[in-house]
Amino acid sequence: MRKWVPRLAALVAVGLLFAFPAIYNRSDYNFVMHLWITAFFYAILASSWALLAGYAGQFSFGHMAFMAIGAYGTGMFSNYLFFTSAPTNLCTEFRLGSRYLVLLDPIGVSSTKKNCLEIASNSWPADVLVWQPSIWWGILIGVLLGAVIGFLVGALVLRLRAAYLALFTIGFSEILRATISAEIPLTRGQAGLELPPLFPHGITLLGRTFSATSKVPPYYVMLVLFLVCVAFMAWLESSRFGLFIRSLREDEEAAAALGVNTVRYKILVFVITSMMAAAAGAVEAHYIGIITPNILIILQMSLVIAMAVIGGLESIVGAAVGAMIIQFALEFLRNSFTIGSVTVDMSIWRLVFFGLLLMLTLRFWRNGLIHPILLWFSRARTKEETVATRQITEPAAASEVQEES
Amino acid sequence: MITLRVNEVNKNFGGLQVLNGVSFEVKGSELIGLIGPNGAGKTTLTNILDGALKPSSGTVYLNGKRIDPFPPYKVAQVGLGRTFQVTRSFRRMTVLENLYVPALAMNHGASRKQFEKQALEVLDFLTIAHLRNEYARALSGGQQKLLELGRLLMLDPDFIILDEPFAGVHPKLMEIIYQWIERVNGEGKAVIIISHDMDTIFSLSRRLLVLNYGVLIADGDPAKVRKDPVVIEAYLGHDNQELREVSRVAAGSPKTASDIPENGEGRTSRVDSSGLTGEGDA
Repeated sequence: MRKWVPRLAALVAVGLLFAFPAIYNRSDYNFVMHLWITAFFYAILASSWALLAGYAGQFSFGHMAFMAIGAYGTGMFSNYLFFTSAPTNLCTEFRLGSRYLVLLDPIGVSSTKKNCLEIASNSWPADVLVWQPSIWWGILIGVLLGAVIGFLVGALVLRLRAAYLALFTIGFSEILRATISAEIPLTRGQAGLELPPLFPHGITLLGRTFSATSKVPPYYVMLVLFLVCVAFMAWLESSRFGLFIRSLREDEEAAAALGVNTVRYKILVFVITSMMAAAAGAVEAHYIGIITPNILIILQMSLVIAMAVIGGLESIVGAAVGAMIIQFALEFLRNSFTIGSVTVDMSIWRLVFFGLLLMLTLRFWRNGLIHPILLWFSRARTKEETVATRQITEPAAASEVQEES
Repeated sequence: MITLRVNEVNKNFGGLQVLNGVSFEVKGSELIGLIGPNGAGKTTLTNILDGALKPSSGTVYLNGKRIDPFPPYKVAQVGLGRTFQVTRSFRRMTVLENLYVPALAMNHGASRKQFEKQALEVLDFLTIAHLRNEYARALSGGQQKLLELGRLLMLDPDFIILDEPFAGVHPKLMEIIYQWIERVNGEGKAVIIISHDMDTIFSLSRRLLVLNYGVLIADGDPAKVRKDPVVIEAYLGHDNQELREVSRVAAGSPKTASDIPENGEGRTSRVDSSGLTGEGDA
């Protein structure tokens, strides 16, 4: 009975999340919708990091780097790739049948310079068409980039453990951030790369039309992405994959001695979690509309780690729920309050409380705060079962030995 | 038939030659003891057989297949299983999950459910069935040793190496490990037991390999090996408690009257003296 409670709760929660944009009608609608979208974004990152660090034991600090790879992958795609029906003779271009694939020159930060496509279009007749490939291709490319680089990083860190892996991935992340910051002509550096919204021309859902800036379509995109990721990871967890990555976390040599191809599963877990981080990053980038190298600063990574730790490192769902709760708590804790003559400026102090919560969790609830609740349901009656079966089997075993001798 | 062929295996760690031209052959379901003083190269040999280490030179064939270039997981899949000197259970996984790891690694596309019955049978045999859903870290040291043996039953290899299976084990658990060895040997598997417990080794094994400074100095019937002057010489040449033990057993002089391990016959008396037959403390 008790084992079904979490599933039922999950079903109700998913139903509520789907209905939320239609039910909620307070004046802070857009703000709350934005919080939810960001919460889903962090939930994907925290839960996929939980799979990587909590299940497989790979304490990577490079997870946000993969998020950035997804974001910049699709960002570059939507800024540099165009189709035209006539050659520009100025840009780098490839003829594909009757159309031309045009690669723009680096944008740079100065806004006055016209790009080669704009210059060419001035001299074109009116019937020449210019269009962009769907941004979904960009997101797909971002995800594939995440997979390829995840594979390479996974292969490189095969022999690294614990602190060495952490240092390596911090190094990787910082190199990526520095590269993005430095490649100003291409990425516009700290000025930020602009991206088109997820639905540039708006979208009609169930008879209702939403504009390009509406929060509702991105809400559903991020929610569906989140649910797909969590469902996929939950399935992985219950499959041989979940069993094997946990065994290699516990003892790599012992797992290998029992026939587990530890190299394959270690790389696979890097590829899978990197793809999820990249997907979350790509969608978030289109939703926010602008990305800067600051999305992969260490502080951001620490936030994701803290969310996973507080939720429960060894639980996909725990980490996801933890991320959502913390995302909301951090926002609502912004409200300052007054005790007597002292005013507590919560916009600063909330981070202190957050840090305190993290430290207390690490000290007293190493399984996180959400995970133990889930365990209470899923491991219901294990204790009673152990005691009961021991009472049945032990006298029997004892009498068996007696017979033998 | 199971065959293991070790040809002229050498292993150097820097300037240290840990194994020096080790060669032997195993045919069929043999029960072999491997002894030698600390630093003789027993564990290194195990690691080479299991693929964790590559020999500096020499080859290893299992059932006619060359296995020394294989990584450990492949050696395991080809049919060689081992335990570790220090118990290595998957501590933050349940007892059943520990057993599912080798079962699923050996059977692609299989599910946990398919092995539940077999796993419970194994746990019953090892008397730890009641702990099936507990985390392995909750088990006692001895129970974790049993769990390791259980994992080997699920892996079902042809050839098994037990590294110090009796170290720090209570006589009651020892009896279960004895039964375990009889069971796998009875199933036709070859077993190599590494142990410093000379009584056990002499009573269990039907063939004895003696390593000393990386050289295989004796290989044969325990009764003959124990009288081999080279072995006695090698062991007596050191001031070492354990080695004196060997010479004691080799000389055939018992420690106490109640503990007489006479080549196999010592087993039943061991059970009696361990108090297993009595109260069975429930």
